[in-house]
Amino acid sequence: MKKETKLKIKIAEAATGRYIENRRFTIQSLAKELEITPKQIFDLFPNRSSILRYFYESRIVIYREQLSSIKEYSTFTLSEKLNNIFLSLLDQFSEHREFVLLTYREMAGSPVRSSTFEKLFKEAIREIFQSDEQIATSAKILQNRFLYHAIYLQFHGLILFWKNDESHLYENSMALVDKWCALQEEIFYSKIVDKGFDLGKFLYYNSPINFTTSCALTAKRSEA
Amino acid sequence: MSDFPSSKYARGKIFAKTGLKVGTNYATHYLRSLANGTNDKSALHKKTAEQVFGEFTKLRGTALKIAQSFSIDQGFLPEEFSEVMTQAQYKVPPINRSLVRSIIKRELGQYPEQLFMDFDTQAIAAASIGQVHKATMHDGTKVAVKIQYPGVRDTITSDIALARSLFKRLVSDGPQIDEYIDEVKNTLIHETNYIREGESIDRFHERFSSSEVLTPQWIPDLSTERVLTMTFIEGVHLDEFLSTSPDRERKNHYGQILWNFFHKQIYDHEEIHADTHPGNFLFTPDGKLGVIDFGCVKSFPEEFFMDYLRLLPTHLHRDEPAIKELYYRLGVLKADPDTDEKENQYYQFCMNFGYTFAMPYLENSFDFGDPEYKKLIRGYTKNAPITNEPRGNKHFIYSTRVHLGLYHFLMKLGAKVDTEGSQKVVEDVLSDALNDH
Repeated sequence: MKKETKLKIKIAEAATGRYIENRRFTIQSLAKELEITPKQIFDLFPNRSSILRYFYESRIVIYREQLSSIKEYSTFTLSEKLNNIFLSLLDQFSEHREFVLLTYREMAGSPVRSSTFEKLFKEAIREIFQSDEQIATSAKILQNRFLYHAIYLQFHGLILFWKNDESHLYENSMALVDKWCALQEEIFYSKIVDKGFDLGKFLYYNSPINFTTSCALTAKRSEA
Repeated sequence: MSDFPSSKYARGKIFAKTGLKVGTNYATHYLRSLANGTNDKSALHKKTAEQVFGEFTKLRGTALKIAQSFSIDQGFLPEEFSEVMTQAQYKVPPINRSLVRSIIKRELGQYPEQLFMDFDTQAIAAASIGQVHKATMHDGTKVAVKIQYPGVRDTITSDIALARSLFKRLVSDGPQIDEYIDEVKNTLIHETNYIREGESIDRFHERFSSSEVLTPQWIPDLSTERVLTMTFIEGVHLDEFLSTSPDRERKNHYGQILWNFFHKQIYDHEEIHADTHPGNFLFTPDGKLGVIDFGCVKSFPEEFFMDYLRLLPTHLHRDEPAIKELYYRLGVLKADPDTDEKENQYYQFCMNFGYTFAMPYLENSFDFGDPEYKKLIRGYTKNAPITNEPRGNKHFIYSTRVHLGLYHFLMKLGAKVDTEGSQKVVEDVLSDALNDH
C-alpha cells in the first residue's frame, strides 16, 4: 500500500473518532491529534466531509490489500469469496460501529445518491463473479449490473441486521452472511438450467417429432 | 468392608470357572428369547426412528449433537438410527474459510495470518459444534485451534425444544425423557464454553499426562469462549491405525493404556472424560495414547457414581437381591419385577446385560477381540429398546456412554487387556466410599 494511501486511511479513521465527539470538528483539531499539519490534510482531502466519506472507500482498499495475505484465496469458492468481502467490511465496520451507525446511510448507502463506496463495492463483487470458473454457463446471463446492485442492496440489509444484532460479537450477523452466501453459491453453481438447455437442444435436433428437423431430413433424402 | 468380592472375586470366579463360553451361551439364550418375543410396535418404532433421525442428519449444530447423545449406547432407542448418526458425524460440512478468519479476528483481535506463523485453512476435524484447524505459532509451537460455529449456543434452546417433541414421538415416558433432555442440554451448554474446556484440559494434563498418556496443553492467551487453542498432538485415529495392520502386541499396548486411563479416572473420579469415541483418541508415533477433546467432561454425583460402580461386583456375584436394590435406587426398576411382567422384562434384560458387561472383570485378563463377546454386546445394544422407554438415572446417559464407548473402542481395536489392576481400583474406590460413609 502506498504511503499516501496509508496516511489517508489514518486520517479517515481518526476523523471517525472526532466525528463522534463533535460532528463539527475542525481540521486543525484532527491534525493536532495526528501530529501533522492541517496543510498535509488539505493536500489529500478538500474538506471534512470528503475525509469521512473516504473512511468507507478505504474499507474496500483495505479489503483488497488483505486478499494478498489470505492463503489459498484463489481456491476459495464463490460463497467463500462473497463471505470474505462481507465479513471483511463488517469486521472493519465493527471497529468503528458508532460512526458507521450514524453515517452509513448518508455516506455509503444512500438510495438516491451514488457513492464511491458503492462503485468500489460493486466492482469488487463483479471481479468475484467474473473470476469464478465454477459458475454455471446459464447463470452467467445473470451477471450484470442488476446482480451487483442487488448484492449491494443485500449489504445494506446486512448492515440493518447488524445494527439490531445483540448477539455475542454480532455472531448472528456472521451466521446470516454465511447462510446468505451459501444460498447464492447454490444458485450460481447449479447446473440445472445448463442441463435443461442441453437436453432441449438435443431433442430439438434429434426428435422425430420435430417438424423442422423432419422436413430438413426429408428434403435431403429427396435431393439424394 | 466393601461389597466387592473380597478374595479376588471369590464368588465371581465360580462363574468364571465355567468360562466366557457359558456366559456367552447364557446371554445368547436370553437374547434369542428376546428376539422371539413379540413386540408389535417394534417395527413401527424403528421405522419412525429412522425417519426422525434422518431429519436430524440434515441439521447442523446442537440438533445433531443431541441426536448423537441419545445414540444406541443409551439403550432405549432403536439401533437403526445409530448408524445414520455415525455417518452424519462425518458429513457435517466445515465452516467456510472466510468465516473462520472472521471468527478468529473477532474473538482474538487479529486475523489468523497475523496471529500465527502458519494457519491451515482446511479443518482437520469438523463436528456439530465447531471444527479444528492446525496452526503454528510464531515460536514454532504446533497448535490445534478449535473454532465454534457462530450462533451455536443460541440454537441450543430451540434445538432442544425440537428434539423434545421428536423424542416424545419415539418414547413412551414423557416426563422421564424431559429429565434426560435437560441433562443433555446442560452438558451441551457447558460444551460450548471453550474457556471451561480449556480449564478441563489443564486439569486433565496435570492428572494424566505421563509416559503413556499424552494430553494437550491449553493456551489461554489464544482462547476465548468460542475459540480454543491447545498444543497439537501428532498421531493417527483408530481406523488409520488399524489400516496399518498392527501386530497383536501393539494393539494390546494401546488397549491397555486406554483401559488404565479409564480406571485411573474412576480412581479419583473428580471428572470423567465422557466422550469415549474413537475420534477423541490418537495413537502417537512414540507409542503413547493421545487424549483430545475435553468438551464433554462430567462430574457425577457421589451417590450415583458409587451405585454405578457397585453394579459391577453385584453382577459378578450374581447377587440378585443386591442387584434389585441397586436397580431401584438407580431408577432402572419402578415396580416389583416378580409381580409386574413389564418390569420383569426390564429386570431380566438389564441383569443379563450387566452379567455380560462384567465379564472382562471376571479374570485377570480379557480379550476384547473375542468375536463371541462382540456379538454378545452387539446383541444387547441391538435389543436394548424393549419398549422404547427411557429408564434409569439421568446420569446413565454419560456413564454408559463412557463405559460402552470404552468397550466398543477396545473391541474394534481387538485388544487383550490385563484387568487385574482395574478390579483392584474398583474395589478400593468402593471400599474407601464405604469407610467415608
